[in-house]
Amino acid sequence: MFTQLHSVEQSLNQVILGKSSQIRLALCCLLAEGHLLLEDLPGMGKTTLAHALANSLGLSYRRVQFTSDLLPGDLVGMNIYDARSQQFHFQAGPVFSQVLLADEINRASPKTQSALLEAMEEKQVSIDGETRSLPTPFFVIATQNPLFHAGTSALPESQLDRFMFRLSLGFPDRQAEHQLLRHDSGNSRLTLLTEQLDTEQLRALQLQVPQITVSDALLDYLLALVNNSRQRSDMLPLSPRASKAILRAAKAHALINQRNYVTADDVQRVFPHVAEHRLDPSSSAQDSRLSQLLLQQTPCLL
Amino acid sequence: MLKQKPLLMLWLAIQLSLLILLQQAFTSWISATFAALLLLRLLTTWRAKETLSLKWVNVLAAVLTLALLLNLKQAGVLHFMLQILLLAAILRLLALQQLYEARQLVWVHYFLLASCFILHQDMLLAAFIMLVLMGNLYSHFLLFSPAGIHLKWQRVSRAALIILPLWLAMFMLFPRLAPFWQIPTANVASTGLSDTLDPGSIEQLVQDNSLAFRVEFSADIPARSQWYWRARLYEDFDGRRWQVNPLRSRSGKDGSVTERSPGSATAQYRVIAEASQQRHLFALATPVSSSNNVAIAASGLVKAVKPVTQRTSYQISSVLQPVKQQSDEELTINLTLPEGNEQTRAFGRQLGQQFQQTSALVAAITAHFQQQPYFYSLTPPPLGANSVDQFLFNTRTGFCSHYASAAAVILRAAGVPARVVGGYQGGDWHQQQGYLAVRQREAHAWVEYLDNGKWQLFDPTAAVAPERILSSLDAVLSAEQRQLLNPGWRKFALLQTLSLQLMHLDYYWSVWVLGFDDNNQRQLWHQLKQQLTRYAYPLLAVISLLLCAAAWYLLRPGAVTAQPEASRLLQQALAGMVKQKPAQQSLSACLRHYASQHPTDRNWLQQLTDSYEQAVFNNDAAALRLLKQQLKRHRADLRRLQRRV
Repeated sequence: MFTQLHSVEQSLNQVILGKSSQIRLALCCLLAEGHLLLEDLPGMGKTTLAHALANSLGLSYRRVQFTSDLLPGDLVGMNIYDARSQQFHFQAGPVFSQVLLADEINRASPKTQSALLEAMEEKQVSIDGETRSLPTPFFVIATQNPLFHAGTSALPESQLDRFMFRLSLGFPDRQAEHQLLRHDSGNSRLTLLTEQLDTEQLRALQLQVPQITVSDALLDYLLALVNNSRQRSDMLPLSPRASKAILRAAKAHALINQRNYVTADDVQRVFPHVAEHRLDPSSSAQDSRLSQLLLQQTPCLL
Repeated sequence: MLKQKPLLMLWLAIQLSLLILLQQAFTSWISATFAALLLLRLLTTWRAKETLSLKWVNVLAAVLTLALLLNLKQAGVLHFMLQILLLAAILRLLALQQLYEARQLVWVHYFLLASCFILHQDMLLAAFIMLVLMGNLYSHFLLFSPAGIHLKWQRVSRAALIILPLWLAMFMLFPRLAPFWQIPTANVASTGLSDTLDPGSIEQLVQDNSLAFRVEFSADIPARSQWYWRARLYEDFDGRRWQVNPLRSRSGKDGSVTERSPGSATAQYRVIAEASQQRHLFALATPVSSSNNVAIAASGLVKAVKPVTQRTSYQISSVLQPVKQQSDEELTINLTLPEGNEQTRAFGRQLGQQFQQTSALVAAITAHFQQQPYFYSLTPPPLGANSVDQFLFNTRTGFCSHYASAAAVILRAAGVPARVVGGYQGGDWHQQQGYLAVRQREAHAWVEYLDNGKWQLFDPTAAVAPERILSSLDAVLSAEQRQLLNPGWRKFALLQTLSLQLMHLDYYWSVWVLGFDDNNQRQLWHQLKQQLTRYAYPLLAVISLLLCAAAWYLLRPGAVTAQPEASRLLQQALAGMVKQKPAQQSLSACLRHYASQHPTDRNWLQQLTDSYEQAVFNNDAAALRLLKQQLKRHRADLRRLQRRV
């Protein structure tokens, strides 16, 4: 099972060149059953990564390009009157899939963005008073352009909080870009993806994550980090949901590294990507100033 | 670092204060030189220019040290040392370059500040020294603090509050050790009465309003008319001035036991004498016992064991009866009269024949002063060669020394041994504070004559100006003469009360702080011991309760969780290596870092890391044991690694 996971990781590295740590963190997010937000400039490969991730997990996925005139109904579906049967018939929206690729999520109006809220947290949607549950597993992999780009509106804090990870790919290094240009074959890079996990394997891996051992000493360290953010005025405090997310992510990170216990390094590794968008919603994904500050000011005695 | 302007300015201010505080130790040319050097530093700091080069500073140091050495004999060793130290500090400030030099400078400042207490024990000056000390402490802080860190006053004052009881306890309970070395006595002009009594010397002293000594009585206060504080005996008369007989200069301890005649009262009191650089101290009538730091010499004089260079307090008790005759030698000394003053001698002889009884003779002299037109004045006319004659029969205007001198000469001429006593008479009694303040202006001279083997007191001034004895000097003087005594500022009532209050404060300071000696300390310990035995059990209960509370506070769940054992062990083992790691780095990351840095040690470091992680993060007891074994096995390796780091 681990070998399968690592071959998936390797083949993802074939698709996105020179970004192994981001890929590992993205996998980490999916193993921890969290939603993933990719933020970067246009053309950096975030959509490719989203597609590749969805593909490699062997899940059914739908892609929605978010625009400013996208309506909530376009996303979750609506009841349409069928003249023949003289009944309302529910037309499911793209949200009813295992993976929702929400491209350029911050181009949509706040109204549409908030329609995703319920789906992301409760894994269900309510339409005309009727609650319908979403398929399992259910992931949202969203991409967004940096906030200063034209026609973007900031995601509300509540929605940002529902994304477990916020990642940024950043520019590839010179060698990786050279390789990218040399092997330009005209086909989509997604065809390079050869390995897949099946649903059972993914489920089994996800079930292993909560079993990872966490010592009291490590919990104390984590709580010290979180508490530190609550005592400062220059950042938003981290909520209990955030501390749960950090721990879950650290566990997944330990699992990927084939350990059955979480170390302080796991926490430190995932912390900036889990905490930064919660500490300062208006920050960009490239800089993790506040979370680094918190790490520096919380002495690690372990 | 050392270009910081505020720091340099602070040091300049400290050195200037030191220069002022140690003023006594410097002659004027030294002070002027030091001030000029400080000014130079000030100007260069102000304009942010380079000061003298090190070479020039060295040359300057050599020249000035040579000059100070040449001055050594005049200055005395103590002052020389202070001069050299301050010179070193000033020159170091001029050529300050390195950080370690600045540190040395700060410590030299501490030493100089401490040595200020050799010269001053005044309360106000102590407060000033404290202020400068604070300045120096602050400069010490600035020297070591990283840029942009400010002193948190709240925290500092809290720390000061915590340290205050400890400080007081140290002062009260820490044993007073005898000094390890003797401080060489400084050459300083003495104040107060001198060994000779000129016709004008007391008038000069009276102009001085400074404090001579203070007295607190432990039992009944003697009547004001008995407040004759004896300090010196003038027994040699050369026709114009009185001198202390060489016999008295020798310090002989009084061997004779004074038997108390029934009915004579005793007085027990403590005298707090100001620094006078003399050994002569003050006592009433016949002192019989005293504390160890003073000795009772012959003829009821009290002398300090060593010159009074700082404010000194001594306990003494006196029998209020005249001093006994010591020897026959005293008789001959006190009958000798030099040539001259013929008129007075004739007058004395005539009185002597007329009154055979000594008491009658004294009464006659008193009557003479009272009935004839004699005047008491602070500004008597100058006297010629036969000063006593001239005063007694021509000018008839004089001060206490004139009257005492004349009366003694008359008595000697009449065949009665007599001598002039110098000391202080009266004082300001402060009822509320319970002490008597005797100032230099209370300096007085009177006469003692021998009758029935005892030296009886006779104050001829009392005949002329009884108010001088019964109230104070001011009561006798005319408004004009009072003006002469009081400098301008003392005309303001507010300033006068203020200075009086300050004097009272200073009194408490000297009684409670300076006067706190071995005796008081022993008493305090004794009292404490008594109290302790009484309150031992309740105290024990309270302390154990407090300890329990503290233990509960520290051990209560969820407070400060202790570091896991494995982390503590590893941290101890790594010690120096851990200190360099950034605060957020975990110990295992730190170990991995060292493993990558030192390839030869990689294997065992890797093993160490593994077992450490298992122990801490996987709660593995077996791994903890393994970690302990590994740490023991690689102790030498760790030590070697630490040395390399």
